[in-house]
Amino acid sequence: MVCAAVSARISPNFLERIGSVRLTHRWASSLDINLISDIIIEACNGLPGTIIAESGDLYNLEVWRVKSILGRDFKYPQTIAERTAVELAHHISLAGRRLIRDGRDMEERE
Amino acid sequence: MRSEDKTAVLLVRESPGRTTDPYKMTELCGLAHAAGYHVLTEISQRRGRDHLFQMGRGKIEEALSYHPNKLIFYNPLSPSQVYNIRSELGVQVLDRFNLILEIFSRRASTREAKLQVELARLSYDAPQVRNALALKKRGEQPGFRGAGAYEQSMYHDIRGRMAKIRSELSAVEDMGENRRQRRREQGFDLVALAGYTNAGKSTLLNSLTGSEVRAQDQPFTTLSPTTRALEVLGRRVLLTDTVGFIDDLPHFLIKAFRSTLSEISEADLVLLVADISDPMPLLRRKLIASHKALWDCDVASPIVTVLNKADRLDEREAEDKAERVSDLAPHPVLASAVTGRGLGLLEECLSQRLQPLPEHEIRLPYTSQGLSQLSRLYQSTELVGVRYEEELIVRLRGKKESLARAGLDRALLE
Repeated sequence: MVCAAVSARISPNFLERIGSVRLTHRWASSLDINLISDIIIEACNGLPGTIIAESGDLYNLEVWRVKSILGRDFKYPQTIAERTAVELAHHISLAGRRLIRDGRDMEERE
Repeated sequence: MRSEDKTAVLLVRESPGRTTDPYKMTELCGLAHAAGYHVLTEISQRRGRDHLFQMGRGKIEEALSYHPNKLIFYNPLSPSQVYNIRSELGVQVLDRFNLILEIFSRRASTREAKLQVELARLSYDAPQVRNALALKKRGEQPGFRGAGAYEQSMYHDIRGRMAKIRSELSAVEDMGENRRQRRREQGFDLVALAGYTNAGKSTLLNSLTGSEVRAQDQPFTTLSPTTRALEVLGRRVLLTDTVGFIDDLPHFLIKAFRSTLSEISEADLVLLVADISDPMPLLRRKLIASHKALWDCDVASPIVTVLNKADRLDEREAEDKAERVSDLAPHPVLASAVTGRGLGLLEECLSQRLQPLPEHEIRLPYTSQGLSQLSRLYQSTELVGVRYEEELIVRLRGKKESLARAGLDRALLE
């Protein structure tokens, strides 16, 4: 499982500046909210601001519940820029996952 | 049935783990009125989803005590829930999505709008018909819609009709694209009015352009795009009014209205209209829904937010509200389409946010053909200066498309 954290400064319609991109991965046989919250906290450690994630990634839990689980300010994407940032993180995590899997396949072949 | 005979009871089910949303009922009531229903009462219940009736049977029986023609549910109903309520309680039912479709089909006047409504209806029906056929095969429900021997092919008929409508709509979309290209060549900037339903888009179009497009205080008055010309501080603009957005719409409905919504996605600038007189949580919810819809439309052009109906609040309250939604609407324009307040500021904002026209210098021959080309340029571009030398040296501001249309793209000096 791969989690990508994109730290960005945004205005409602545009991504103004991307500060950093961080990839974190874990091997897990099954997914639960504890594992997801752990990996999100690890990926966002030291990054200031509000965490934004897709509602499907957090089992559609209400915002106040996610806030109390993460212990950080949190919201689901609302504006166009927030959706763009989440989409960017999705692309990065997918690419990261492919890289990790390809690397693993190559190791196994060797 | 006359509209005063159409009576309904509104039902909303809230999930136990979720925060109560009082605006669901208000919105459903507005939609029911727009569809011509007389609302007898409103019933809400907080409980988990009932797999047989969506809500508790007792609440439905309470609704039936008012003897309505129809029960209107806010929550989506599955085919088996519709079947159960109809057969066991003997009443017609509608959910919010079907209510919206009913309004659309009443208001659709153009061929394009009618096709879009039919496509949305079929996209909704297709999986439901498949599900009903599966239930019939298992012997759990009898046949439906009196189709008799044709039941089995009904699903494939629907798919075939959907494909035919899609191809017709894609031709309409191509026509729209050609029209937009032609308008750009004529030197117009395309501005689209978008926003939540009943935000006052048509009224704003009327006050900006002095036209008399149908505008009413009810959701979904406009279904087909309406375009009017406007001159904003020297720029020629075509303002297009579009269908309003609404929260929690299924994705296929947006897809069905793609040819209409392309007026928004292909515009040079989008005016996002919101109703500032709404209570704060509702205003935020509507702005979030509008942003989601604009995201679904793939809007890449600049967005200017207009907080309309500012005349209903005093100045300080309106400014305070605008400040509180600044994370969703940066530098909004406070305006009132009815009183005309803020429209000058809006025009100024429009001219600032539209991409500045590039300056070109072209050379034209000093012949009658050259002079007629020059007179055509007066129409479609902004002339800065003309030097009458051995040839005509024309300095102008305008789009490259306008020059290409006049066949002057080769005469460019830079």
